[in-house]
Amino acid sequence: MKLLIIEDEKALSNSISEYLNTENFKCGTAYDFNTAMEKIALYDYACIILDITLPGGSGLDILKELKKNNKADAVLIISAKNSLDDKVHGLKAGADDYLTKPFHLPELGARVAAIIRRKSFDGKNTIVFEDLTLDLFDKTVKVHNKVIDLTRKEYDLLLYFISNKNRVISKGAIAEHLWGDDMDIADNYDFIYTHIKNLRKKLVQAGSPDYIRSVYGMGYKLSLPH
Amino acid sequence: MKLFTKYNRINVFATVGIFLLASVAFYFLLRYIIIDQVDQDLRIEENEIETSVKTFHKLPAIIPVHDQYTTFTEISLPSLRKKEFATLKKYVEHEHEDILVRQIAFDINVESQWYHVTVSKSLEGTEDLIQSIIVITICTILLILVVTLLINRIVLKRLWQPFYDTLKRIGDFKLGSKQQLDFSTTNIEEFDLMNGTLRQSIGKAEQDYLLLREFTENASHELQTPLAIIRSKLDLLIQDENLSQQQSDAVQGAYDAIQRLTRINQSLLLLAKIENRQFAETVSIDLKEIIEQKLKQLHELWQSRQITVSDNLQKANIFINPMLADILFNNLLGNAIKHNIENGSIDIKTSQGYFEIKNTGQSQSLDPARLFSRFYKSNTSAENHGLGLSIIKQIWEVSGCVIEYSFEAENMHSFIIRW
Repeated sequence: MKLLIIEDEKALSNSISEYLNTENFKCGTAYDFNTAMEKIALYDYACIILDITLPGGSGLDILKELKKNNKADAVLIISAKNSLDDKVHGLKAGADDYLTKPFHLPELGARVAAIIRRKSFDGKNTIVFEDLTLDLFDKTVKVHNKVIDLTRKEYDLLLYFISNKNRVISKGAIAEHLWGDDMDIADNYDFIYTHIKNLRKKLVQAGSPDYIRSVYGMGYKLSLPH
Repeated sequence: MKLFTKYNRINVFATVGIFLLASVAFYFLLRYIIIDQVDQDLRIEENEIETSVKTFHKLPAIIPVHDQYTTFTEISLPSLRKKEFATLKKYVEHEHEDILVRQIAFDINVESQWYHVTVSKSLEGTEDLIQSIIVITICTILLILVVTLLINRIVLKRLWQPFYDTLKRIGDFKLGSKQQLDFSTTNIEEFDLMNGTLRQSIGKAEQDYLLLREFTENASHELQTPLAIIRSKLDLLIQDENLSQQQSDAVQGAYDAIQRLTRINQSLLLLAKIENRQFAETVSIDLKEIIEQKLKQLHELWQSRQITVSDNLQKANIFINPMLADILFNNLLGNAIKHNIENGSIDIKTSQGYFEIKNTGQSQSLDPARLFSRFYKSNTSAENHGLGLSIIKQIWEVSGCVIEYSFEAENMHSFIIRW
């Protein structure tokens, strides 16, 4: 699947494409308005990551162009403008999601994965990772066809890890994903540790391998055990 | 006091004063003229009597004349050296009462016999005339006053109408709403001048406001993007699992600093936005609902520190911007948890127009004078950026609530909001 990153800050654009480039995703980049318009006219993308303020024009115009030509490309707006108006404008113009800078790359990864899942729905409502099956509609997880009793936070956490598999996710990124702005209050990462510990325990007890491991106390990573 | 009430007051006092003075002067002048006239008549009478005595050597016969009474009295010696005028009350027989008269008295010698002569003329008619004139004058004053007041009220109200129109338009005007200020053109130079000046200064304010807003957005963009870059680079850096423990610690330190920087930046932007009245829309919000929801959201955070939360929530509606309400109570509840102690307590009460949150915390009072100022920190905790209470202050200022802080025995800190 192809992704297009329309972002004028090359450093940020490179970070995003490096993070999202996997065997599944191939990332293209456009640093200005005109290049972006050319690329969207020539190719179809599974998802376009779109900055609003670009040299040569507005990201919203690119979005309008896509909608005018009935392109099915999903669009995720990344903007430094953290105002409700912009968010509403962007979503009204047909964007699928909106993320405010500065964001954590795993958060972006999870959002992109979610958008693509939604767009290519093809009748199934589940994500399969090895022996784990996540039902997105019921928000349940099955191991070997047996439902594991997870709390809402544990389920969110697992989905977040699977959307960012084989990547190290920092504790800050996890905290922001689970609690949003409220995490400011907590000031420590003990909660994350507790939730992850419980999640791992439940998965192992259900007979699944331990996919999640801690990386130097900086973060966590979900991958196949070595 | 209204301008034209003040003007009217001065006007009425001046008018009444002038009229009264004029009436008094008029009265005395009129009286003087009339009495002078009567005196002349009396002198003519005197001349006639003297002529008669000289010619016929006897007193003339008294001819009864209306309003004129003559008397002759025999006297042995003349008592008056010259004639005398006097105004006095005198009994008049055919009127059967005392009436006011003007009288001339003189002595005259007829054939070696002295007579004392008085000739009186009634002043009753004159007095009536003066009284009528006074009554007419007073009535005229009153009439003029009433008419002036009415005219002033109607005319001035109409004259000032453009002024009130302008005031209303300015009152309804909101900066940043990009609406045009249309003052109706009057043909009064002063009002047109005022409208012109207002249009100009409001235009300037509007322009400054938009520039400030633009600045806010630019500042946001300029800071958020480098922050996003740093954060993304760190996110990539930790993908390398060959980092040493030392390097990992350094990365973690950088993460935490970026997190703080992000929060400070977001808080400053939020403050600027609230100050710019960018959250002007208000709706009625049920406080009970929002607090129950917040307590549920923050459940984990207070439970992990063994904080007991007790609440007494009654239905309380407040008119506020929903986003601001969210931030306000997030900050208040967040502070109550963050600055609490292990095994501490939080007590929340709401009722209509009243919200109170009390929590245990450090054992000395916060400085009420500086509490809500930016970057105020009660302790030197580096984690705390000191903007939370400034945001709370800005929110209550734009939402029209009042907030009070008080410190109670030992370690209880309480915040009360009234609206």
